[in-house]
Amino acid sequence: MFSTGFKYFMGVTVLSVVALIMSLFVLDQVAIAGVALSMLVVAAALLGGIAVVTRDGNRQSGVNEQSTDLVSQSIWPLVTSIGVVFLALGLVISSAVFFGGIVILLAALAEWMVQSWSERASKDANYNASARKRLLNPIEFPVLAALGLGIVIFSFSRIMLTVDKTTGASLFIVFGSLVLIGGILFAIKPDMKRSLGAAICVLGAVGIVAGGIVSATSGVREELVVAKGESHMAPECGEERSEHFDKNATGTLSLRSSVSATIELLDGQLTARLVGFQDPQKSLTISRSAPTNLIFHNLDAKDYRLVAELGTRAAAEPEGATEKNLVCTQLAAQGFEQLLLLKIDKPAPEGTSYRLVVPGVEGQSIELVVP
Amino acid sequence: MNHSAKHLYLKHLVTSVLRMVGKKSRTLFGVSLLSFIAASCAKNAPQDTWQPKGPNAKIIDDLQQPVFAVAGVIGLIVAVAVIYSVLKYKDRGQPIPEQTHGKPALEITLTIIPALILAVVAVFTFGAIFKLAKTDDTEMIINVTGQQWWWEYDYPVQNDFGITQPIISSGQLVLPVGTKVLLRETSRDVIHSYWIPALNGKRDAVPGRIQTLRLEADEPGIFTGQCTEFCGLSHANMRMEAVALSKADFAKWVANQQAAYVAPAKDSLAQQGEAVFLNQCVRCHQVNGLMRADGTPAIAAPDENVWSGSAPNLTHLMSRNTFAGASFDLLSKQCRDEVWNAPSDVIGTKYLAGVSQDCLNQKDLRSWLRNAPEMLPMYANPTQLAATGGKYRGMPYLALSEDDISKLVAYLLTLK
Ligand code: HEC
Ligand SMILES: [Cu+2]
Repeated sequence: MFSTGFKYFMGVTVLSVVALIMSLFVLDQVAIAGVALSMLVVAAALLGGIAVVTRDGNRQSGVNEQSTDLVSQSIWPLVTSIGVVFLALGLVISSAVFFGGIVILLAALAEWMVQSWSERASKDANYNASARKRLLNPIEFPVLAALGLGIVIFSFSRIMLTVDKTTGASLFIVFGSLVLIGGILFAIKPDMKRSLGAAICVLGAVGIVAGGIVSATSGVREELVVAKGESHMAPECGEERSEHFDKNATGTLSLRSSVSATIELLDGQLTARLVGFQDPQKSLTISRSAPTNLIFHNLDAKDYRLVAELGTRAAAEPEGATEKNLVCTQLAAQGFEQLLLLKIDKPAPEGTSYRLVVPGVEGQSIELVVP
Repeated sequence: MNHSAKHLYLKHLVTSVLRMVGKKSRTLFGVSLLSFIAASCAKNAPQDTWQPKGPNAKIIDDLQQPVFAVAGVIGLIVAVAVIYSVLKYKDRGQPIPEQTHGKPALEITLTIIPALILAVVAVFTFGAIFKLAKTDDTEMIINVTGQQWWWEYDYPVQNDFGITQPIISSGQLVLPVGTKVLLRETSRDVIHSYWIPALNGKRDAVPGRIQTLRLEADEPGIFTGQCTEFCGLSHANMRMEAVALSKADFAKWVANQQAAYVAPAKDSLAQQGEAVFLNQCVRCHQVNGLMRADGTPAIAAPDENVWSGSAPNLTHLMSRNTFAGASFDLLSKQCRDEVWNAPSDVIGTKYLAGVSQDCLNQKDLRSWLRNAPEMLPMYANPTQLAATGGKYRGMPYLALSEDDISKLVAYLLTLK
C-alpha cells in the first residue's frame, strides 16, 4: 500500500514535527529553529505526498489507462492552499495563525495522500471510495464533530455574554424547549424524512453561529465590562466602590464547610462561632502563617463588611511611611455572607493587638490572638 | 567460615529446609500460623489499632471486632467452599454436566444475604461515625497545625484549665486524662493526617480548613502515632506522641508552660549560648520572653525563612521528650525507658521532670545542631530552593562551630 519513498518521507515529517514541538518547549528563542523545522515538516510531507502519488516514480504496472476515470474530485488542493495562506499570514500576524496553518496543511496532506492512494488501490471506484472511508472516517468524524460542536457552543456562549441576564435565561428556556419539541416530534413520527431532520439541525446550528458572530462583533454587555474594571481581589475597605461582586460569596463556595470561625453580626453584637466551643467567643486564636478562612454572616438590616485590623505596614510612598494594614470582606447585605481569608505571619507587637471590626458598628470587636 | 565451607553450609541448609517442607509441612504450617497469631498480638506494638486506650478508639474497636469476626467467618466459609469445589469437581475426565442458565431462587438468596449483612454493618458504622463526629460535648480545645514534617500544638485561652495565655508546643501533645479534647486540625503547607491509634482514627489536616478530631485518654500514658497522609520527603519521620497526664499533673504542666522566661545566669556558658541563639536561631525559632541586646523582644520570622512559615517554638523545649517531629529522643536511652516504662500512676511525675543535664541525649541534639539535614531528609540545600523562593523546608545546615554547639546545648537546657 504505502511505498518505500512515502514511508521514508513520512518518517522525516513525523520526526521533524516532534523536533518542532520539542524546540517549542526547550528553546527560549524558537524563531530560526521554528521556521527551519516548520519548513522541513512541510517539505518532507510534500515529498511524501508526491512519493505516494507517483508510487516512488515507479510506473511499470498498477497505473493504467483507466486510472484517469477513477479519479474523483478533490477538495484537498484547495484546503492545502488555504493552509499555505495561513502559514504566510501567520508569519506576519501571529504564531497562532501560523500553527493553525501547519495543522491545516498536515491534515490536508494526510487526507490528500490517502485519497490519491485509494484512487489507485484497485480498478473499482466504489471499492476505492470505501477503502478511503474505512481508513479516514474513524478520524474525520470525531474531529469534525468536536469542531462543529465547539463552534456551536462557543457561538452560544458569545450570545450569552452579550444579551442581558433575563434574556439569557429566556434564551436557554427557548432553546431547551425547541430541542425537547424536536425530540418529541422525532419520537412521534419516526418515519419522518431524514433530510428534514438534518435540515432542522443545520438551520438551528447556522442560526446560533450567526447569532454568535453578531454578538461577538457587538461586544459583551456593559455590566461585564464594568465588573472587569473593578478590583475584586483587593476590595476597598472604605466605601464600597465595586458594584458587580458576588453578593453571597459563601453560598456558592465549597469553603462553606470547615472554616475556622463564623463571625456573626446580630443586633449590633459581634460574636465568633467556632466548632468545638459551645458559647460564642470574643477572641479567636489563629496560628502564625496558617491560611485561615472566616465567614462573616451579617444578620443586621444595613449592609456591612468585616475588617481585620492587622497593625501597620510599610506604605508604598513616601519612603518610610506606614499605613494601616487592613484586610476586609466585601459588603454583605442582611442575611448574606462574605469570606475573609487571613494569613498572619507574626504576633501583634507588644502592647497592641489584632482585631476584627465592622465599620459602622461601634464598640464591638473580636480579638485575633496570634501566639 | 571460608568460602567453600559457607557454600556447603548453605547447601545443607537448603536441602534440610526442603526435606522439612516435604515431610513435615504440617508442622511448618502450624509453626507459621502460631507465629502469625503471636505477631498480631505482640506486646510491643504501640501503634496497634486493636488496643484502644480511650472511649473514641473504643467506639472504633467495638465496631471493628464484630465486623472482623463476621468477615472472618464469611471469608472462611468462602475459602472452604472454593477449596471443596476445586477438589470435588476437579477435571478427572468426567463428562461435562448439563449446563443450566440461572437459578433465580438461589441467586436472589445469595444477593439478599450479603446485602442484609452489609446493611446491619452499615447501621452500626453510621452510628460510630456520628458518635466520632460529635463536637458539642467538648471540654477542651487544642489547635493542631501540621507542616513538613512536624506538628504544632497551640492551646487557646481556656480558664477552666488554667490556660490564661496561649501555649505553643510541638511534637508531643499533652492532654489531661478523662477529658473530652477536641483537636482543631489544619495545615500550613500540604495535606497531613493526624493519627494516634490508641486514642482515635485518622483525620486529615488540610490547609485553609479546620477539621476536628476527638481525643480522650482513660489513663495516664504516652501514645504514639504518625502522619498518615503522604506529605513529602520526610513523611515517614513525621511522628507524634500524645502524653496523657492526670488532671493534677496537667495543671502543673500548664503552669510550667506559662511560666515567665528566665534568662540564663550571668557569665554562664548558657548565656553565651543565648547570644548565639539570638544570632543564628531566632530568625526561625521563637522563644517567648527572649529579649535582644537592645531590650526589644526577639520575634522570630520563620515566614521569611521557612516554606511552611513556621518552625517549632522552643520556649519550653526541655519539657518535651522528643524533637524534630518526635523522630529523635531528647532523653538518653536509660532516662527515656524510665519515663516510658513507668506505671501510669507515676508516669506524670516522671514526664514533668523534663530533660535534665544528666538525662539529655547529647549525641542526637548535637548532631541536629551540627547538620540537621543529615539527620532527617529535608529540602535544605540552599542551592536548590528555586521552587520555594529561597525558603527552606526543614532546618538547614548552619555551619556552627563545636564551641557554639556546646554553648547552644547549655542554653537549650535552660528552656524547661
Ligand atoms: C531557617 C530556619 C531555621 C533556623 C535558622 C534554625 N532552625 Fe531549628 N528548626 C527549623 C525547622 C523548620 C525545624 C523543624 C524541623 C522538623 O521537625 O522537621 C527546626 C527544628 C529544630 C529543633 C527541634 C524542635 C522540636 O521541637 O522538634 C531544635 C531543637 C532546633 N531546631 C534548634 C535550632 C537552633 C539551636 C538553631 C540555631 C543554631 C536553629 N534551630 C536554627 C528551622 C530553623
Ligand atoms: Cu505529614
